[in-house]
Amino acid sequence: MIELKSVDKYFYKSQEREVHALRDINLTIQEGEFSVITGPSGCGKTTLLNTIGVLDTIDNGEIYLQNREIANLSSKEKTEIRLKEIGFVFQAYNLIPVLNVEENIGFIMRLQGYSQDTIKARVREIASLLQIEKQLGALPNFLSGGQQQRVAVARAVASKPKIILADEPTANLDSKNSTALMEMMHELNKKEGITILFSSHDDYVIKNARRTILLNDGEIIES
Amino acid sequence: MFSLAIKNILFYKGRSLTTFLLTFVSLYLFIVYVAFMNGSHQSMLQNALNVYTGSFQIYQKEYRSKGGYDYLIRDTRKPLQILADTKGLKAFAPRLETFGIASSKTYSHPIMLTGIDFNREEKLSELKKALTQGEYNTHGACLYMGENLAQKLHLHLGDTLSFVGSAVDYSFVAELFEVCGLFKTGMYEFDSQSAFMNRDYFDTLFFSKNMATYIVAMAENLKHNDAVATKVEKKLPQELQLYRWQTLMKSMVQLMEIDSLFGYISMGLFFIVIFFVIMIYGFININARLREFGVLRSIGVSDNKISLLLLLEILLLTLFAFVFALPLGAYTAYYFQIHPIVIEGMSEMYKSYGVVSDKVPTLFDPLTVFYNSLFLFALNLLSIVYPIYYVRSFTPIEETQHV
Ligand SMILES: Nc1ncnc2c1ncn2[C@@H]1O[C@H](COP(=O)(O)OP(=O)(O)O)[C@@H](O)[C@H]1O
Ligand SMILES: [Mg+2]
Repeated sequence: MIELKSVDKYFYKSQEREVHALRDINLTIQEGEFSVITGPSGCGKTTLLNTIGVLDTIDNGEIYLQNREIANLSSKEKTEIRLKEIGFVFQAYNLIPVLNVEENIGFIMRLQGYSQDTIKARVREIASLLQIEKQLGALPNFLSGGQQQRVAVARAVASKPKIILADEPTANLDSKNSTALMEMMHELNKKEGITILFSSHDDYVIKNARRTILLNDGEIIES
Repeated sequence: MFSLAIKNILFYKGRSLTTFLLTFVSLYLFIVYVAFMNGSHQSMLQNALNVYTGSFQIYQKEYRSKGGYDYLIRDTRKPLQILADTKGLKAFAPRLETFGIASSKTYSHPIMLTGIDFNREEKLSELKKALTQGEYNTHGACLYMGENLAQKLHLHLGDTLSFVGSAVDYSFVAELFEVCGLFKTGMYEFDSQSAFMNRDYFDTLFFSKNMATYIVAMAENLKHNDAVATKVEKKLPQELQLYRWQTLMKSMVQLMEIDSLFGYISMGLFFIVIFFVIMIYGFININARLREFGVLRSIGVSDNKISLLLLLEILLLTLFAFVFALPLGAYTAYYFQIHPIVIEGMSEMYKSYGVVSDKVPTLFDPLTVFYNSLFLFALNLLSIVYPIYYVRSFTPIEETQHV
């Protein structure tokens, strides 16, 4: 499903302030896995998720998504993969400020061309699961951090992508909401067979994952 | 994307309002400005043509290149009959110009003495309207002359002057005249050189019966002048040639073209400033939204769709501004065309340009408005090109991390 071979990633390559963010990463994630990437702040969790999510480029190595090497794809093909195969949850929510919660959650489905009714039904289903059905008409700026995070998760899962990549999805949630979110992720994983990979340094979340990938200074030290 | 564009427009009010207002104001000003410009040109021309020149003139073929009595129209009866048979003419009249020296007791001045048919001229030119003292329709040894000419010769109404010139057979003409009427058209050159007299007596002095330097004609409607002139042209005898006002007033037409050019250049500079302000506002707005574009691209919106979104936003804003500015500008221009603004003393100030009225003329021409709008429209769309390029120059992740 996801395979990384000798992946290296630098920031400010060949400059004085060069950062070697990912060092020789070799990682295979099977279809249907439920894994967590963990490690201290700055160890490269976000960078790793971004490269897998076709959002950032790499300097060395190869990344395969469903046996397709992604580094050499055209920007159009990359866009296609982001739209149809991956649901991404950003650490910083990143909702679209001009759209209300309902429109934000349904946005990807709309891009994919689902009918209004299907979208509406699906949005309500996810919203009730994440307990944000009361906020459906609100604009993101009027929501609390936790609520925004749940909207961001809802947006990623609504279109039932093959892979969900989530960057510290529970970082801004209280334990009750964290539990709810984790339960929902488990359910999506079990029922829909969605492969889930996320980063976290929340013990509760880590314990709940089936596989833990430990990262330190850009290197995998345990997986 | 369309609904997202609308939402963005409503959400980012500052940028939307600035773009809207700037577009609105510039289009509005543009329409009104061009209408005034074209209007004043048109009226200057119309004035000049009405005052004396007419809308076309007929000459003996070589007169305009060689000049002199050898190239007069020898017999005006045939061309006058042709003109009488042509529809669409307000009036026409033959004129015979002679040049000579006019002297009062102490002063002399070269003058152009023209023999005219006062009754025909009344319908054709504004010589009668220009009368300030005395009589228009003079008889016998009486002259109707420009005020400035009278001033130069230190003459007053009723005074006597002598004129020396030559008749069409090149014999001498010397005669004493009385100043019977004075006129002022506002065109200085004209008012300080011209004198007119009745054709009957003129012909006995100059042996010029049925001759003319040229025949002047005025179309009923200047717009149809060309068609009428062409009709006349076809019937004219070989030795005669017709000149339209565009040729007769060549220097004036060119002057106006230059004036229009400067008008458009200054308007163009104004637009370029507006263009940059709109672009900068668009750019600031888009820079602030970079993160949002990063998110959109991250979740699968293609670069082309992002471009489309930005284009749609500016398109809608521009269209919206146009919807208000076009009718309003058109209405203003049209309103002032029907009810011209009156500025007291303007004709005094601009008399050398042939302005004889205090009304500021306006000419509303839909076609001009259309082209100008198109230009402004294109400019607005162009203003988003750089911002689009800017957005696309980043990777989505760079944009989402943008602060
Ligand atoms: N856009 C960037 N530009 C420069 N350096 C970056 C950028 N993103 C991350 N880094 C650096 O790469 C390393 C890994 O960062 P990151 O992947 O965000 O870690 P984590 O998500 O585990 O906290 C850090 O040293 C960070 O400073
Ligand atoms: Mg991180």
